[in-house]
Amino acid sequence: MNFRTMQAANRRKTIGLLIGMGVLMGLVGYAALSYLGGTSTAIVPIAVGIALISVWGSYYGSDKLVLTMTGAKLIQESDNPKLFNLIHEVIIASGLPMPKVAIVIDTAPNAFATGRNPEHALIAFTTGILEAMDRDQLQGVIAHEMAHVANRDTLVSAVAATTAGAIAIVSDLLTRMMFFGGGRRDRDSNGNPLALVFSLLILIMAPLAAVMLKSAISRKRESLADATAVSFTRNPAGLRSALEVLAADSTVVRQRSTAVAHIWIESPLDATSVSKLFSTHPPIQERIAVLKSMESLS
Amino acid sequence: METIIILVVIALLAVFVTAQYNRLIRLNITVDEAWAQIEVQLKRRADLIPNLVETVKGYAEHEQSTFEAVVNARAKATTASTVADTAAADGMLTQALRGLLAVAEAYPDLKASTNFLSLQEELATTENKVAFARQFYNDNVRSLNTAVKTIPSSFFAGLAKVTEREFYEVEDPQDRIAPTVSF
Repeated sequence: MNFRTMQAANRRKTIGLLIGMGVLMGLVGYAALSYLGGTSTAIVPIAVGIALISVWGSYYGSDKLVLTMTGAKLIQESDNPKLFNLIHEVIIASGLPMPKVAIVIDTAPNAFATGRNPEHALIAFTTGILEAMDRDQLQGVIAHEMAHVANRDTLVSAVAATTAGAIAIVSDLLTRMMFFGGGRRDRDSNGNPLALVFSLLILIMAPLAAVMLKSAISRKRESLADATAVSFTRNPAGLRSALEVLAADSTVVRQRSTAVAHIWIESPLDATSVSKLFSTHPPIQERIAVLKSMESLS
Repeated sequence: METIIILVVIALLAVFVTAQYNRLIRLNITVDEAWAQIEVQLKRRADLIPNLVETVKGYAEHEQSTFEAVVNARAKATTASTVADTAAADGMLTQALRGLLAVAEAYPDLKASTNFLSLQEELATTENKVAFARQFYNDNVRSLNTAVKTIPSSFFAGLAKVTEREFYEVEDPQDRIAPTVSF
């Protein structure tokens, strides 16, 4: 597979997963309707509204918010001319505008990108990654981060987080209402027991399924960013050896909040503590293998 | 009723034509911008050369032929204007610079000097920038040429006065490899 077919495949899969999210949302809406009757389905748009407001704020101000959450400090060209040289190279290769650049003081090698659009992009590197990597490897990492910017992954994850959040709110409210027996004013008119059991199942499973879908979307976006990075540098070996450095290094960044776990190039969470279905990143060995197969093509 | 249908069809057609026209114009502008970027980066490289030659001369004055090759290639590169000429001169200059760096390898004092080290980093990044600018230009020329040649956008190429553009091709396949700079 070359990077173009990889990019297309990952985009298709993301769209499929987002449709899956929509279907899940619909199922929850159906459950609400069948269990509580027409009047209480109003909680679906309300839940979407709540989720939208909470996620939209963090999406819109993502560049500033993430700076405070990760303790990153903005730097200028004069602070690290060599890093800026590399970023300029990737900028020319990708045709994207120059992002803001930040440094996280942390010995663990890692990097991330955020910002609501390419014009407000921010890419950050830990001091550890700048020390651990040579020119080609760092170029691969920068290309991966700029690929996230080009693919608007902050938007994609915001959409995923909004739907997952809304589903969680709806299911939570409905299960509470069931528990307290409230809301079922039309008990006699809507007595299909099968439908009720089905609805109950949906409400219990939906939040779990939503988080799984959200993680699957995040994993697809990581693979897509790897492929897009190769389309920028045409040098899969650089990113591949960078990932090998990350895989060999066992230290993790100190800010290991799950809220921002998905934005790093290497997951800051322990691989053992997160099962594969809920992981925000594909296994690093898998990513290395894909890049190796691209190398053998060129 | 019929007039409404006719008006809707005309409106849809207008939207379609505008979209096709704008897409071609946009592609053409992107190619222009990509070309400007190549020129900027080539100029950057040309500006680095006098300093580099002076630094190397300080340690290796006997390599006169190598210096001449670089200076001549630079002169050609700065006067070239068409895509093909610029590409040819760019290839020659890359070759000459590779020769100059090979010469530098033989002088440990030179290799250790801080001035040379910072020039090396500058040269490495500039070579990468030239290569990426070239790649970005060629990718955009490919999109433009595809649009000019394929239906339906090909119908509007004449209207938008957009024609196929020339690829930036470095002839010698060896020239594609930038001079290797070891740290």
